[in-house]
Amino acid sequence: MKRVEVKLSLPVVAPLLDVIRELSVELEKNLAAPQALHDLDQEFRGAWIGELLEGQKEDVRAMLALFGGDFFTDGVVAFDEDNAEPIVRACTAIRLQLRARRLKGIGDESLETGEIEMEGLEDPVRKAFMCYLFLATVQELIIQHLDSSIIGS
Amino acid sequence: MSDYRTHTDPRHATEQQLQDLWRVVVLNDPVNLMSYVVMVFKKVLGFDETKARRHMLEVHEQGRSVVWSGVRETAEAHVFTLQQWHLTAVLEPDETR
Repeated sequence: MKRVEVKLSLPVVAPLLDVIRELSVELEKNLAAPQALHDLDQEFRGAWIGELLEGQKEDVRAMLALFGGDFFTDGVVAFDEDNAEPIVRACTAIRLQLRARRLKGIGDESLETGEIEMEGLEDPVRKAFMCYLFLATVQELIIQHLDSSIIGS
Repeated sequence: MSDYRTHTDPRHATEQQLQDLWRVVVLNDPVNLMSYVVMVFKKVLGFDETKARRHMLEVHEQGRSVVWSGVRETAEAHVFTLQQWHLTAVLEPDETR
């Protein structure tokens, strides 16, 4: 099984985990990307959203498991064919939630380009933006190394 | 990955809706990485790299791309799966045929 191990800087990443945990609680009840489902009847829409929410919760749990006990010992996280898919989706869910809840003051264009003056941001927003960038890096890493495993699964 | 159809009565759409053709449209969002969208198109819709990149760029530059067209049941399944991957995907009647 293909496996990618990454050693992260604990002092940098540990504070971002607080943000991720806070958002994971929000994502227990809300879809990261609210969807327009005008064409479905109400009962069917409820089942549809319920299934999306269950999947989202499972993905976020897989992401949180990545930063379990061992992570705080050596700072190493491991991606493989089993966890790559839920984690890459969870990264998106959390990034969407960050944009909607914590980064509302930053324009979409700036978010897309990443060209933001970090010094000008208040501490919670800076932390949220660093988390946003960190999760994008995790996604890039997974896609770069485990893209074929995800597509083939 | 779960399938909403295993838990849901499929008799949600009218006979007419089931017979009509429907389009799966993906809308732009400022969050998802280009590489992620390409991967999702390959995974969910079976596109090759070239086709996946073409549709991704269409979404990015024009705000939307029709990624699939056909019977309602399959279109719904594609929309659901794309939404599981957090893409903004919608179902539209295909009035071009």
